Amino acid sequence: MADHQGHDHDHDRTVKPMVDEITDFEVLEIALRELCIEKGIFTAEEHRRFTEFAEQIGPAPAARLVARAWLDPGFKALAIAEPLTASREVGVDWLEPTGFGTPSDFTAFQILVDTPTVHHVIVCALCSCYPRPILGNSPEWYRTPNYRRRLVRYPRQVLSEFGLYLPEDIEVRVQDSNQKNRFMVMPMRPDGTDDWTEDQLTEIVTRDCLIGVALPRVGVTANVVVDTRPAMHPSGE
Amino acid sequence: MAEVRQRYAGGMAGKTLAAEPRFAGDGSQVRRNSHIVHAVGKGDPQVYAGRAGPPRFRVGDAVTVRELPVLFYTRTPEYVRGATGHVAVVAYESPAPEDETWDHPDATPEWFYVVSFAMAELWHGHTGAAADTLRTEIPERWLEPAG
Repeated sequence: MADHQGHDHDHDRTVKPMVDEITDFEVLEIALRELCIEKGIFTAEEHRRFTEFAEQIGPAPAARLVARAWLDPGFKALAIAEPLTASREVGVDWLEPTGFGTPSDFTAFQILVDTPTVHHVIVCALCSCYPRPILGNSPEWYRTPNYRRRLVRYPRQVLSEFGLYLPEDIEVRVQDSNQKNRFMVMPMRPDGTDDWTEDQLTEIVTRDCLIGVALPRVGVTANVVVDTRPAMHPSGE
Repeated sequence: MAEVRQRYAGGMAGKTLAAEPRFAGDGSQVRRNSHIVHAVGKGDPQVYAGRAGPPRFRVGDAVTVRELPVLFYTRTPEYVRGATGHVAVVAYESPAPEDETWDHPDATPEWFYVVSFAMAELWHGHTGAAADTLRTEIPERWLEPAG
């Protein structure tokens, strides 16, 4: 499924369901939601508010945090010493939407800073914990046993499958976020970005860079492969 | 669930999914997580700060992961049981997941540590780069001094 950039249209009204039938999970979700509202566990309004929170999170704030840290050493120091404060400066309050954080993201956020000798990559081998408030929902591959089991054992093989090859003298540091800490990676600033503005730098810090399976590169602004071979027999022929 | 399925029988027909509860219940008697009382404005694990006493280990200490019997729930990975590494970060205080999962109101917080392991020592038959490491978080009860 494509990554969702920020929309401001209402998905319920504009995205057609892909199949005409209701699925079993949708039936379960609606039934459970109705039951919870009838029992007073939450109100429809509260559910709507939480749904909106979950739908508006994305990797843009984290990308901006990295870009700003690249440009401002003081902000970089703040991001290391007080990651929750730095998050607020890019518009993310880890205490929201409950006032004490979400049940699965907690409020123990740490930023892992890459150096010329250390490259970080994050995983949750137990389940797929992810820094959702600042990075959005995790990609599907991050949740698969394929990634979770193999990254802790064969990190360089897994990184090579993402197209990332690192020299042997760089330490690959796998961070298995199995408890309450949540992590994101601050990659190193690539060459060729002198005099760039914060907006320009933000564009090349993709979600995969923030997980650690990609490095930011000039001209690469998305995780998906868009450079495909032209058709041998284009449909116009 | 049968009612919901009945509502959409014959296909969605362009309708969107909507919850149609018959009434909104009174939630005042629902037993709730105590975080809404104690942790608002602080967060979890910050709400447990200061309740675990001094940490037993410091950054740099060599530690070995104990092989404790696990009957129910744990978040200490099996692949580090018995492994030796060093403390990289003294992270935060929190009830251990083995206690927290049962929602005991009196679960005692303990210190959590980010422990660093050399991949070459962690994995049998490791043929990868010598410098690679793995870090994961472990509660104090699972650690003992190495050697």
